[in-house]
Amino acid sequence: MLVSNSGPDASSRAVLRFLVEQLPGVSLVEGGTSLEPSVTSDPPTLRSATVVEGTALRAVKVPDFSRQTASGFGAFLDGAQKVRVAAHREGIPIVLGTVSAAVRIRVNRRMTTWGHRPPCVERKMYVPLRFLPQLAGLQGLLSSATGSGWEIVDTSGPDRNGEYPSQHPSVLLERAMRAVDQDRQRLEERLAEAWCAKSEAPLFIDGGISGSATVASSSCAVGIVKSHRTLYVEGDALRIVLGLKQGERSSVFRVSPRSRSSVLSWYLRLRGADGRDALWGLVRVEVADCDRPRERADEVSRWVMAEMTPLSLPDGRWDKMAYGVRDCEEFLRAIS
Amino acid sequence: MSEALGRVVATERKPNTPHEFHFWTAIDSPVGIGTIVRVDGAQPMDGQIPHIYGIIVEGFSYTDLQSPMHDVLGHDGSPTLAGFASTERAEIRLYTAAVLRQIPEEPLQPVPMGQVFLAEEADVQAALRMDGYLREDANTGIPIGVYRAGGTDAVIYLDADFLLGPEAAHLNITGVSGLATKTSAVEWLLASLFKHFPEDKGSIAAVCFNVKGPDLCYLDQPGKVEKSDEALYEKLGVDTKPFESVRYFAPYTAKGLALNTFRNNEALLDNVTPLTWGLREVLQFAEVLLNKDDVDAKADALIDFIKESVVDKEFPADNVLKKSHRVESFADLDAWFRDVLQGLENKNGESWRTHHVATIRKVRNRLSNISTRCAGLVTDSGAVSDLPFGSFGDRTVYVVDVANLEEDAQDLIFARIVSKLREHLERRDLGVKHLVVFVDELNKYAPSDGPDTYVRKMLLDIAERGRYLGLVLFSAQQFRSQVHRRVVGNSGTALYGRMDPDELSTPGYAVLSPATRTKLATLEKGQLMIRHPHFTQPIFVRFPRPAVMQGREGAERYPQANEVTLESAILRALRPLDPSITLGWVQEITALYTEQEVIRARNATLLARPKDVKAYFSSQFRKIIPAQPAQRPMAGSIRSVPENDPYGF
Repeated sequence: MLVSNSGPDASSRAVLRFLVEQLPGVSLVEGGTSLEPSVTSDPPTLRSATVVEGTALRAVKVPDFSRQTASGFGAFLDGAQKVRVAAHREGIPIVLGTVSAAVRIRVNRRMTTWGHRPPCVERKMYVPLRFLPQLAGLQGLLSSATGSGWEIVDTSGPDRNGEYPSQHPSVLLERAMRAVDQDRQRLEERLAEAWCAKSEAPLFIDGGISGSATVASSSCAVGIVKSHRTLYVEGDALRIVLGLKQGERSSVFRVSPRSRSSVLSWYLRLRGADGRDALWGLVRVEVADCDRPRERADEVSRWVMAEMTPLSLPDGRWDKMAYGVRDCEEFLRAIS
Repeated sequence: MSEALGRVVATERKPNTPHEFHFWTAIDSPVGIGTIVRVDGAQPMDGQIPHIYGIIVEGFSYTDLQSPMHDVLGHDGSPTLAGFASTERAEIRLYTAAVLRQIPEEPLQPVPMGQVFLAEEADVQAALRMDGYLREDANTGIPIGVYRAGGTDAVIYLDADFLLGPEAAHLNITGVSGLATKTSAVEWLLASLFKHFPEDKGSIAAVCFNVKGPDLCYLDQPGKVEKSDEALYEKLGVDTKPFESVRYFAPYTAKGLALNTFRNNEALLDNVTPLTWGLREVLQFAEVLLNKDDVDAKADALIDFIKESVVDKEFPADNVLKKSHRVESFADLDAWFRDVLQGLENKNGESWRTHHVATIRKVRNRLSNISTRCAGLVTDSGAVSDLPFGSFGDRTVYVVDVANLEEDAQDLIFARIVSKLREHLERRDLGVKHLVVFVDELNKYAPSDGPDTYVRKMLLDIAERGRYLGLVLFSAQQFRSQVHRRVVGNSGTALYGRMDPDELSTPGYAVLSPATRTKLATLEKGQLMIRHPHFTQPIFVRFPRPAVMQGREGAERYPQANEVTLESAILRALRPLDPSITLGWVQEITALYTEQEVIRARNATLLARPKDVKAYFSSQFRKIIPAQPAQRPMAGSIRSVPENDPYGF
């Protein structure tokens, strides 16, 4: 997932003009303010999981891997979001967000956009209408003013507990950021489901697959999780995972998050962590449940390791990022 | 309409301008340096979608790799492992194109963003402004070759008005030696010119100076034409046959027996004419042969006096000259000098008619020397055999072979022939309206540095004023940078074959992009880069191999004749005029005469080309009554006288 910030493009400038016209007293933010994903991230946690390969979690050398090993992935999926605080009125932030997602397929070792389903791009203005009621009901005006499908999203609705957010700007920003995240995830899941429906070839998904039941149960979807805010190991198992050598994976375990689908998962060390931090080159792989988890884990691990070249430099996450994912991000950066 | 092959891009660092733009293409796009493309603008201007034509002058390729080290690390330092990577890095083909033409032409704006298409034949015509001179009612196009790129085959035409005048004129070819590109290109272009030069513009002929090798010696002989070239000939509308009308001119060797040309094989002599000049012809261009450092103003004055008052005039005896003279040949001139000097010596005089005896001796020495230095070309006797000034034929090539001559003789031939051509064209009585003069090795004849020779001055004069007369210079050289700027600068059209990299590094080529220069350094045989007044950028074309016998093949099939005996030389010279002549007949006729007399008779016969060759040749000799053996007088009987007769006597 790509998060980027940049100055207003022509489309965003139209939104700003709209705000100035429709919202007297609004104050435009020069240069925009970036909203980092960490603002809304959950705190790092350890969580236990059920081992399904053997009885206890252990390190397993991925067998039969060499630099000549061919990858089975036929396509890559990733999403991106651009978020900026565009304006505020009396401290109430107005956030502009662009989310996008694309599947890039590999043909003759070169990446190209999946022709069956075009990449998705959505542009939205995230506004707490509860505190800025002047903007409510202006969707039609916004669309005609911008001509590019901008949509107003209310970020001040009640949460699952029925509670409304306070007027604290940070709370409202967090609400907006979470809404952007959700929109991006929705786009990614929509594309992933479309891919799984076609079932053309294994799809490398940047991130987990448990968000969609369809994707989580598809044999052609493989999720690669690079961030480890939640580690599904505790105690000795944690030491084993953090001590994985290059080319080793952990035993397969089952991940069953609340409100999400259950999937099989394992940790895989792509690059040696000597002299680096413990999570260097460490990814967590998610696949749909299957009868022979060991063989499936070995096979998918070989594919993931085969994606280690070419390097994704200069991206800072190059130790974990497949080049196909970087290609998706560059593509999304270009179109959104 | 074909599919778009690229998109125009512009960034702040690399913006587009009215004369240059950038675009990217797919990796496998069939474009390269020299490809002509068309940009269709996205926004109409005054209700018209702008079309911009450009030619690719530079190409870039790069990936998203930030540092080469990243690639090394990614493949563990092993290049072979790179081949196993599942994915190729994203790669771009980015091209820079120079604008050939914008439609509409006003207002001239930077090239807009838009789709890029491969130029089709009609696009090429528009891009190069050829549509202006390929109209049905006024077609002055001369095919020079075929532009090929990505499946487009388009004939490239030069504008005759800009090739042969009056708008612009002259053509210059540059290229390394040994690839036969320069000579082949000229041969091909002359064939195309003779075929396509508009009838309403009048007649045209060419005079080619063959300054080295046998390349121009077989223009009337058919050569091998490859299948691929046949298709080119068909597309270009030129027949695959040699020149129909070619005449060769060459002086004799120093001995005077055989013609001093590669084309002196007996089988090819029928259209070879000796080139011989006498005193009158040479003296007119004496300054070509005389060393300026050696011949001062005094000597010049004497030479002028001889030209004005001695040659071809009855010069009476005076107090110095013993007798009157009529000087018509070098032999006569020498006799005249001898008489003058003898007279001065006898009178112990130091000057004659204001000319000092030392000056007279010096001029005598220099002028007499000419017939020795240019032996074979200059005759002592004054016999003249020349180009048919006044009766030049339409679509005829006149080749003057000077390849085997000394530099002085080459200069003399060049200077005199070109001067005569110019005189006749000024008087409009050459026989043709337009004349192309082809000179190779321009480095030598019109160098950018060195002394200001007569030949260089003449070339400059043609280059600067020839087009008004219909006298057009087609010149060639290996190093354009070493040719006088005014000669190449006045050439409206310039062709470039494969170039020497050192030459390309000279300032004259700085206007070309590095990629274009690289392409020039690696051009294949049969490819040329063209600059023409209508083309705002150089264009690359292919031309077919000329349909004439190449020099090497001709030299093998028709080997050069060696020096032969006097009788054999006479036989070879006269047999083309009368095939019934035999060696025995020649031996019988010439047996009693000196070599000089025989050669003079041959020259006179060749010049007259009489119907009855035998009779004419025989009549050239003085009558000699064959020596009769002296009759031994009959010894009279001796009267016997008695020994004892005292009165007997």
